Amino acid sequence: MTWISKTITVFGGLLLAHACYSAQEHAALQSFKAAATSTLTSSTPAASSLPVDIAIETIVATLITVLGLVLGTRPLRPIQWRVWAGKIEREGEEGFLGNNGEVEKDYMGNPFSYLESRPSFVDIRKQRKEFSQWVKNGGSQGKN
Amino acid sequence: MAPSLLYNPAKLPPSAALQLAQQAPIVLQQSLSGTETVDQWATYENLLLSCLRTGDDEAAAKCMDRLEERFGADNERVMALRGLLSEAQAENNGELEAVLKQYDAILEGNNTNIPITKRRIALLRSMGRVSDAASALVQFLDFSPTDAEAWSELSDLYFSQGLYSQAIYALEEVLLLSPNAWNIHARLGELQYMAATTSGNGGGSQQKYLAEALKRFARSIELCDDYLRGYYGLKLVTTRLLKEQAKQAKTDEGEFTLPEPRTIQRLDELATAKLSEIVRHSSLKDRGWRGYDEREVAAARELLSQNGIER
Repeated sequence: MTWISKTITVFGGLLLAHACYSAQEHAALQSFKAAATSTLTSSTPAASSLPVDIAIETIVATLITVLGLVLGTRPLRPIQWRVWAGKIEREGEEGFLGNNGEVEKDYMGNPFSYLESRPSFVDIRKQRKEFSQWVKNGGSQGKN
Repeated sequence: MAPSLLYNPAKLPPSAALQLAQQAPIVLQQSLSGTETVDQWATYENLLLSCLRTGDDEAAAKCMDRLEERFGADNERVMALRGLLSEAQAENNGELEAVLKQYDAILEGNNTNIPITKRRIALLRSMGRVSDAASALVQFLDFSPTDAEAWSELSDLYFSQGLYSQAIYALEEVLLLSPNAWNIHARLGELQYMAATTSGNGGGSQQKYLAEALKRFARSIELCDDYLRGYYGLKLVTTRLLKEQAKQAKTDEGEFTLPEPRTIQRLDELATAKLSEIVRHSSLKDRGWRGYDEREVAAARELLSQNGIER
């Protein structure tokens, strides 16, 4: 999925660069022409607008770039609290994978779980005891 | 899935803690000379906690040194971690008393040192001096009443002493501070359910607790779709309420309002349907249903089979 969006973005960027280059060339040509004519006749230079094909190319290039960028964004997240919370409970980390297949950096599970684990009040001696008990019991499946 | 060193490891199971502690050599190998990253110090702190838990004191001491080097030994958070280190390494009660004296000395110099205050309370509780811990905690909450974590600890402390009404009060304070915490709503429901099952005087207060618990579980589900814990509690409460209604005629006390029997019946059906859906999907390991704790799913399955419902 990502390579499609990247190709489209790059293509749009190229098109945009081409349009810019064309516009610049057009302007240079116009000013050259104006300079050439003003030496002969001191009349005002003809007001020259950008050719319509360059304008169209710019607009199309912008649209294509935007399309590419939109395709490349990460999946949208739920904005309703209960849906978001339910996603955390139901899917866990799997629900919050980024485009690269890794868990997104700001995923932290239930943000209120600290109210139940209470890290500032941790009883480290009890944890140590439980851990050594767990190791003694074989270590593969422990409680708590 | 690998646990991350970026979050506090307090709630992780032993296997995950071991996994984290085993990363110690890799993390400690990196020299400090490079540029600081946002996650670096959180990593050290959590590694320190995991290593202490698994008994890897050497690596823990190294983490501690690095944190102290960076933030200075008089940083409040670092002081608390240093205290944690000495608590973990204390071998007998005398040494623990010494650590406690140290905390007292620190607090005498600066009695607004919140991390150390919390460590002192935790140490008191760990040493079995629960009433001292409770009074210290109440004192702490007097000058810092917006600390949700401390209220939650107080609730747990009272709960461990069987003082349900106090525990419920403290947890209600937590809900005032973080009203969207769906797990706390469920926890409060659990406390109220337990209070209802243990209160011997029956009748009024029991019914009141059950009605409250029903509301709490319903709220936790409202805040979180497909919340296994919430539906489990809802199922327990509705089953009990329906059973009791069959036994006794409806007693209207006026203080609280129990929903209509029909509503309870429907809530019960909803909880049953949701629980069996969750259990079914989880045991098939369907995509998008793998976030539940396996033990919780097993408990839900047991509850359903107790009620004679085929999956």
